[in-house]
Amino acid sequence: MVELLEREQLLAQLDALRGEGGRLVFVGGEAGVGKTALVRAFAQGAGGVLRGSCENLAAPTPLGPFLDVGLEPAEPRTIAAAALARGGVLVLEDVHWADGASLDVLRVLGRRIDGSDAFVVATYRDDEVTGDHPLRVVLGELASAPGVVRIAVPRLSLDAVRALAEPLGADANAIHRLTLGNAFFVTEILAAGGVDLPETIRDAVLARVALLDEAARRLIEVIAVIPLRAELWLLEHVVPLELDRLDICLESGVIRADRDGVAFRHELARLAVESSLAPHRRRALHEAILDALADRGDLSRLAYHAEEAGNVEAVLRHAPEAGKAASAASSHREAAVQYARALRFADACPSDERADLLDRYAEEALLTGLYEESVEARLSALALHRAVNDRLRVGVTLSRLTNAFTRLGRNQEAEEASRESIEILESLPPGRDLAWAYAVQAYARMLSRDNDEGVAWGRKAVVAAATVGDREVEAYGLNMAGTSLMMAGRIEEGVLELERSLAIAGEAGHEVFTMSALNMLGTGLGEMMALEAAERYLRQCIDFAEAHELWPVYPRAWLALVHVYRGRWDDGASLAGQVMRGAHDPISRISALIALGRVRARRGDPGAFDALDEALELSVPGGHLQRLGHVHSARAEAAWLTGDADRTVEEALGAYQLALEKRHLWYAGELAYWQWRAGALEEAPAWIAEPYQLQLEGDAERAAAAWRAHGCPYEAARTLADAGDEAALVELERLGARPLAAHLRRSLGLRGPRDATRGNPAGLTPRELEVLALVADGMQNRQIAERLVLSTRTVDHHVSSVLRKLGAKTRVEAASRFREISVADGANMGSPADVAAPARP
Amino acid sequence: MDTYVILRRSGWRSGEELGEAAARSTTVGEEMPDDVRWIRSYVLEEGNGVGTVCIYQASSPEAIRAHAAAADLPVDEIVRVADTVIVRPDPLPATAAS
Repeated sequence: MVELLEREQLLAQLDALRGEGGRLVFVGGEAGVGKTALVRAFAQGAGGVLRGSCENLAAPTPLGPFLDVGLEPAEPRTIAAAALARGGVLVLEDVHWADGASLDVLRVLGRRIDGSDAFVVATYRDDEVTGDHPLRVVLGELASAPGVVRIAVPRLSLDAVRALAEPLGADANAIHRLTLGNAFFVTEILAAGGVDLPETIRDAVLARVALLDEAARRLIEVIAVIPLRAELWLLEHVVPLELDRLDICLESGVIRADRDGVAFRHELARLAVESSLAPHRRRALHEAILDALADRGDLSRLAYHAEEAGNVEAVLRHAPEAGKAASAASSHREAAVQYARALRFADACPSDERADLLDRYAEEALLTGLYEESVEARLSALALHRAVNDRLRVGVTLSRLTNAFTRLGRNQEAEEASRESIEILESLPPGRDLAWAYAVQAYARMLSRDNDEGVAWGRKAVVAAATVGDREVEAYGLNMAGTSLMMAGRIEEGVLELERSLAIAGEAGHEVFTMSALNMLGTGLGEMMALEAAERYLRQCIDFAEAHELWPVYPRAWLALVHVYRGRWDDGASLAGQVMRGAHDPISRISALIALGRVRARRGDPGAFDALDEALELSVPGGHLQRLGHVHSARAEAAWLTGDADRTVEEALGAYQLALEKRHLWYAGELAYWQWRAGALEEAPAWIAEPYQLQLEGDAERAAAAWRAHGCPYEAARTLADAGDEAALVELERLGARPLAAHLRRSLGLRGPRDATRGNPAGLTPRELEVLALVADGMQNRQIAERLVLSTRTVDHHVSSVLRKLGAKTRVEAASRFREISVADGANMGSPADVAAPARP
Repeated sequence: MDTYVILRRSGWRSGEELGEAAARSTTVGEEMPDDVRWIRSYVLEEGNGVGTVCIYQASSPEAIRAHAAAADLPVDEIVRVADTVIVRPDPLPATAAS
């Protein structure tokens, strides 16, 4: 067997990480680079190791790798908890093929592993995890998790190839040039021997297999069509006569023993052999395996072999069941694949069966973001339901279609589908489906900010749901009504309805609706600039989501915005940056981009329009006010701060009509403000948000006070600056609002910014003062570093500097000097706690 | 990563203070190599102290500010560099950077 070359450093790294305790290590590298060999070498040194593998299937078995290691099927967080409790080393191979439920387990493991006894190593093909690959999302989310590490396995160097090739008399240079140092490719070539080098991995593998006798090759071929591993009992069924060749095959190194069966040394080899089979032979082999598996195989395997064998009856028997099982395990991508598979073979099915498959597929497609496919399937199902005049199904399907149309921004079609669904369902005995249809209409209205209608339909849904005792839809209806009330400016009423929705969802133990209510409360109050309340609910929402392993991206994006509007630009930009790194859904990205754009514009930093251009691009398809209104407000502001009055007006007009139409107090208010500021608007409607109303009426003092009441220091300062009030400068400089401060100074004929160092006692910088305050409080440097979110070394520097400037030899001396300074400076200093407040997470 | 110019006008009272700041800047920079890379700086005579013009590569303006906050460096202005035009090499520095 080949010795491991050039892996000492990586092995040492893995050993060191093992010593640190609870870690999840992602080992990445291209196919064949040697990840498995590395991890196995590590495992040998680590004692007892459990190993689970992911299958290279379009729809692998849900939770496959975890079932492999003896964990019982359950909710992802339960499985993760069990794995963490068990401790020890767990190896998960090829997680780029992991199903949705397994990825959820990985997420939980990543978040909870630090401080546990478990050590998990997950290998994956990093070159395949690009774009919107599900693992990429998981890696992004776990990027800042304390226990998660990523290491990469590099290719072999020329020296390493030489060390392998020379003993066999092979041409190391030629091999290295061909393989680029891919370990698997190198070993395949060397094993095949021969003078001519194969051109590809496939050729190398096939050359090696060609060295075996005919019976052995037949055995290899069977093993090649079974993903992951071929159990011995299975081989006994399928190729009883060739089984005596097993030892020879094992010796040849083409396959190796794997638990209760055998497998190819590498998936690349398996695929090479499988692809070399003639189609009819491959089909026949799959048929034989399907036959042998009978009812022993799991559903995913059966469905897979059934399709490959072209066995219509088997596909229709197994794929739908596999789909249901995957859906129940929350592996929705896999469920969609199974239903799609069944549909491919369903032409001869009776139409009610086909319709059922289409409906199920459409549901899974919707859950996994395949909106176009979902709509298509629903429309096909709809046609079938209409053909047999199944009015209930027609009504329900139309209602579900509405959702998909809405996600796609096909609002006209969403409207039509919704109206028809309600018409039909109202003509039938009242039930849950009618209540749902009302709620779906309410959702569409809420999204379009047709607030009055949103409230009306939401309440209809509540009444209909209460009639049939359906608490879920009741909660949903209250949610929609409450949100619409808030968006209409009736904030207190809206909050009441949403709190009721929250309570009902909580009683029913419905996590998704609980989170939805908290989310609407937080983001809705944020949109209505009730920032303190918004922040409270957003934090509650985030905490709830994390405690229940739901993924709170949107509330975080909104929290970033709230930070920005409350004047905490560092926190806002930092959180927005985090969201951008981990989030793929457009809605969250738009919010995060607006936060970044506003901060950059207000600071005069580069990149404001980079962020806002992307935000606009993402907002246009949906055409919703809550994106366009927000984006255009931010863009108008950014344009103004670069001194372009014409552009300011242009940007504001981009959403002004829409904001007026929907009577949005805040977007109409801000967009009107920017036009007014640029001299292009005389009057705005009286109903716009109070601070803007007051400012446009000419009452800057009260307008600024109104902004302060909302917790917006920048907008308050801006209002005063607009009125030429020098008092605004202090706040603007404190916030770091360079463009506005410079503009105000220019218009007042003032010179440069004030020097922050000059005012301070003993010539200490503000930061040094903070550190001194904590030293005086008795803190050690490490604690100070934690408190101020600095590195310990930076704090060490500061403490030395402080001692020097004060002429103090010890911390105690410095502390007493601090107290002297405090007394002398009176009100300016406050107590140590005031000077150095704890950092916000 | 884009390249940025950072202005830190009148940031320090003396060359010594600046030296200490440079040390902090390096230390913190090493902890965030994927976010900021300090390329070079020009020390400015400000009458009552010194300032700098710094050239950094950074993943975003926010990364620059995060680095500055952690290392206690002032940031007056950040401007993105569109292009670099070198006409002559820099004259030798009067004092080597630490």
